[in-house]
Amino acid sequence: MTLLTVKDLNVKFDTDEGRITAVENVSFAINAGEVLGLVGESGSGKSVTAKSLMQLNPENSVYTPESNIQLELESGNVDVLSLKKSQEMVIVRGGAISMIFQEPMASFAPAITIGNQMVEQLLIHTSLSKRECSELSVEMLERVGIDEAGKRFYQYAFELSGGMRQRAMIAMALSTKPKLLIADEPTTALDVTIQAQVLDLMKDLVSEFGMAILFITHDLGVIAQVADRVAVMYLGRIVESGPVREVLHSPSHPYTKGLLHALPKLDALDEPLTPIPGDIPSPLERPPGCVFHTRCPEVLADRCNSSVPQHTNVGQDHSASCFAVDSTGRAA
Amino acid sequence: MTEKPLIRINTLNVEFPLGRTLFGKPPMLRAVNDVSLDIMPGQFYGLVGESGSGKTTLGRAILRAVPISSGEITFDDSDVNYDVGSLAKKELKNYRKLAQLIFQDPYAALSPRMTVRDIIAEPLEVMGLTQTREETDERVRDIAAKCRLNLEHLRRFPHAFSGGQRQRISIARTLVCNPNFVVADESVAALDVSIQADILNLLQSLQNQLGLTFLFISHDLSVVAHICDHVAVMYLGTLVESAPTRKLFDNPSHPYTKALLSAIPSLDPDDRGNAQKLEGEIPSPANPPPGCKFHTRCPMAEDRCRKEVPQWRELSEDHFAACHLV
Repeated sequence: MTLLTVKDLNVKFDTDEGRITAVENVSFAINAGEVLGLVGESGSGKSVTAKSLMQLNPENSVYTPESNIQLELESGNVDVLSLKKSQEMVIVRGGAISMIFQEPMASFAPAITIGNQMVEQLLIHTSLSKRECSELSVEMLERVGIDEAGKRFYQYAFELSGGMRQRAMIAMALSTKPKLLIADEPTTALDVTIQAQVLDLMKDLVSEFGMAILFITHDLGVIAQVADRVAVMYLGRIVESGPVREVLHSPSHPYTKGLLHALPKLDALDEPLTPIPGDIPSPLERPPGCVFHTRCPEVLADRCNSSVPQHTNVGQDHSASCFAVDSTGRAA
Repeated sequence: MTEKPLIRINTLNVEFPLGRTLFGKPPMLRAVNDVSLDIMPGQFYGLVGESGSGKTTLGRAILRAVPISSGEITFDDSDVNYDVGSLAKKELKNYRKLAQLIFQDPYAALSPRMTVRDIIAEPLEVMGLTQTREETDERVRDIAAKCRLNLEHLRRFPHAFSGGQRQRISIARTLVCNPNFVVADESVAALDVSIQADILNLLQSLQNQLGLTFLFISHDLSVVAHICDHVAVMYLGTLVESAPTRKLFDNPSHPYTKALLSAIPSLDPDDRGNAQKLEGEIPSPANPPPGCKFHTRCPMAEDRCRKEVPQWRELSEDHFAACHLV
């Protein structure tokens, strides 16, 4: 069952240097209970895409008229981008969708206890009494594996370690029972051994709560571990998407292939690392045609720099937008 | 090995006071605890550990950027022999020309108000290594070319560059005074994957061209595995294992090394969840556990581990570990 449909999302920012395109013609869908990984490097627009789902982008952002985000809830469909007042947004923000961020220290208010922050949002989004909210919060803290949850409830964010803070973030995000959890680089600031614990926890929670996750990361290894499907973004466009096995085992788009080649792998220590040539262009100088053509090893002389490639099916539910894939059929 | 090590570290301790007390000594935080290691000339030496393991402090101690509490660091190339802990002012100045640091964040490391040429030339001018402007310019152009920056780049300011280019500028600035030992502290951690590979390849080719010795500090085991020929693993201020890269990755001995290796998320979606997971979190370095520091998280810990500090032993040639159970 489809939970969220994003269609032709275009987000631009008005800046002093002109109008910058951050996200261009992005379309995807998330089913209930599914983990969709959104991978890309800095400036690829993955965070802007995610924030659009809750209209959290700053005020200088502009959504073009054809952009459409539909949320299918039991109470009926919600057209997210048509919501204007913050009272209306409550259904979406913290209601149907919760978000956890990369740096948990920056996301908790430093002068309010963890418990009070958890209770505050429950009071807004549920009809529980204050006491029930407190009980539910402690229960959630226990559920995410925090020792002495009753004590932590009265502590401040700075008193918790990094891994613990991220667990508390997750507890807070899930206590309102959202249908979709947006996780924006949730493990990037953590050490590997702690990252492994948090990823395990998230996997457990998906199966227990049955919610969907939009998992944003730059780390393909993390994607391989948690995602069901993956969409690869580059300079504001989705260049390839499909089931995680297919995309990682037989990537079609030259950018996905390049990313996989550039990653140091532990089981192939003798193979040299192959960087993707050149640098990511500045958003002010977006290349015309295919956004990747300036760095692409398979660039076609007079096509890639002038026209934009459409998404082509290269397998079951697996598509890539590339002319090279177009002409040779399945390039695997 | 008949060669003499370039850097020899003997039971090094680095301590920081925790606050101040009116009388007596304040409690001390031991950031580096009895560390001994040798770095050979021309080696790409990797130092791995999680946050709070003391890897950065160790790197800085070698450069004399933090005071050494006890123990010895010697620097010995064929020309000079320094006891790094007790350098006189003049020797320290000379040592700075020989041992240099590449920073983690190329956005913070470069002054936004200086041109790239001035940024790279500054160390030469400060250290008085060149006499004339022509000479300075020549050395700047020379190192810039080695770091794949062109003449056009030298006239611009750092804001015009991407992360990867900035890191190349930062590397050029480090190498312009011809050091023979370089500490690279998380030098690719802030970069995107597609750029990271490029900088790693650059570091490797510069090492070959200029005969450098590197101490490469990183939290990322797969990066270290690719670029280093020797790896040491740190946990809470102590070394737990050290070996040539191949040996360490093929045959890790210390339970912490094993856990670190298996915690790296595999790129294969079919290889999920069979990792050996560590329980708990890293204890605070201000209050480290007694005995083996890893025993609070170790899946194999015994009574002995809680009381006795394990010895640093050679398991096979050049492969050391500190664990009672190996």
